[in-house]
Amino acid sequence: MTLAELTQIHDFLIELALRGGQMMLDANPSASTSGSKKNSVDLVTDTDKSIEKMVLTNLKYKYPNYDLLGEESYIPGRKLSDNPTFICDPIDGTINFVHGVPNVCISLAFVIKKIPVVGVVYNPFQNRLFTAIKGKGAFLNRTERLPLRDSMEPLPGLNKALVAIEWGSERKGNNWDVRTKTMVKLASQGGTMCHSVRCQGSAALDMCGVAAGYLDVFWEGGCWAWDVAAGWCILTEAGGIVADANPGNWKPTVEGRRYLAVRSAPAEDQIAVVEELWDTMEGRFEFPGF
Amino acid sequence: MSDINLQEIHDFLITLARAGGEMITQAQPTTSRTGSKTNIADLVTETDKAIEKMLSDKIREKYPTFEFMGEETYKPGDILTPSPTFIIDPIDGTTNFIHGFPYACISLGLAVDLEPVVGVVYNPLTQQLFTGIKGHGSYLTSPFHDREKLPLREGESFEDGGLSRCLVITEWGTDRSGVNYDVKVNTFRKLCASKEDGGAMVRSIRSLGSGALNLCTVAAGWADVYWEGGNRVWDVCAGWVVLKEAGGEIVDANPGGWKPRVDGRKYLAVRGGEGWQMVVKEFWGCVEGELQIGM
Repeated sequence: MTLAELTQIHDFLIELALRGGQMMLDANPSASTSGSKKNSVDLVTDTDKSIEKMVLTNLKYKYPNYDLLGEESYIPGRKLSDNPTFICDPIDGTINFVHGVPNVCISLAFVIKKIPVVGVVYNPFQNRLFTAIKGKGAFLNRTERLPLRDSMEPLPGLNKALVAIEWGSERKGNNWDVRTKTMVKLASQGGTMCHSVRCQGSAALDMCGVAAGYLDVFWEGGCWAWDVAAGWCILTEAGGIVADANPGNWKPTVEGRRYLAVRSAPAEDQIAVVEELWDTMEGRFEFPGF
Repeated sequence: MSDINLQEIHDFLITLARAGGEMITQAQPTTSRTGSKTNIADLVTETDKAIEKMLSDKIREKYPTFEFMGEETYKPGDILTPSPTFIIDPIDGTTNFIHGFPYACISLGLAVDLEPVVGVVYNPLTQQLFTGIKGHGSYLTSPFHDREKLPLREGESFEDGGLSRCLVITEWGTDRSGVNYDVKVNTFRKLCASKEDGGAMVRSIRSLGSGALNLCTVAAGWADVYWEGGNRVWDVCAGWVVLKEAGGEIVDANPGGWKPRVDGRKYLAVRGGEGWQMVVKEFWGCVEGELQIGM
């Protein structure tokens, strides 16, 4: 696909993200202004669905030959094909959206052969737009190049790292144990004693935070392709890498449900941090079928 | 206290917060693209000190008879007295400041008779300004909010669902060993775990790294509960006013303490809403042990 075509897709996804963002602001005025109390889980589901419908309808009309994958319309078991595919998460950070915490975004990606080549993540509550086209760099609000700091800034180990981890929705069983034990060990003085742990409640924004360089590492098991596809493109274009959350795999897939994102840094530092986290990990994530 | 003009102090503190905020953005390592994270600990300390000096100079010039308590000039053993006291934190969320994570603030409060009466919390990275005066409400001004009264949303009743419908804020803190760390992480797990496993299955937990902004987040009604052990009075004094004026409540982080001191270092903040006492009791039931944090 030519750069001109990718640029056109990038521009169109930005347009749709801004429209979706406006729909969030309209649906959830409590987060941006006062005076409404009609916030409920139902309202969120409605908003989620109507944004996804708006996005997918527009994409289908303009690009009838490409596949579509959306969170709301996902059918369990479906796998990405090698076809050019749009991936849409209408609202990432749904719990934040319900409660009004302004860490919420719409996340739109375009993947070819399962590789993200365009990524657009827009947080309307803070007016932050993260974008990237494969090979052309990543940007905040279209003009500020990512990362926001020196791309070769050393990353001297997890001990100096600000690490993003989420609590997730799976609150028992093996994956819950792996997640919580690893978190506690990463933060503990007897363990890694990382700088600190941040839980902001949106995987897409966590990926973008690592891309920007204000988070060093994001370790996650359990989220889905639509949560990470756009952020993946933005992160890798910002010099970051994505490994598997479980040890040993340097080539995770966008739909593999296990991700370890590390910010831009000298390659030997990135590799060392991945290996350090793998060594710290307590147990292994298990997602049958993935 | 009747002769203290709280409105005037409030306005003065806003001016200072904006000036201090300017110093924070100027020093913000990411905006200059220089200095690696590992080398900027010194820069942070310098900025912290420079802002506190600017604040204390201006405050002492204008209110020479008031006491002053700041993070950088605090000496162990200094005790908050009933005298009117400015309580300030030049940068709350220092770790975020170091990394450029946009959740850090300047926190300026006034306490009289050991009670916070004016609070100004300003995040210069998002330009959110939270303010409150005892008896006169609290407000948010930002690029998205035109001095809007807090809470931003009607405090829904807690009675339907209790803690399981709450979005909870906790922090990992800097003391990550021993009994307090164990109490904290075991409590985090208990809060989040499924009901089958004896947990409270809260909606989720957020950890963003600034105590003052966390209190304001509860004041806004965005989060329901914030549980903290280890903060200092300058982390909470300003946010305390903002929260209370928004209808929120603050009790002790350990079970049973309904009336914590502002310098008590252990806090459980809850947004306003019917049944808040029930949520406090339910939360206390999830505290795994007792935080051993003295004044």
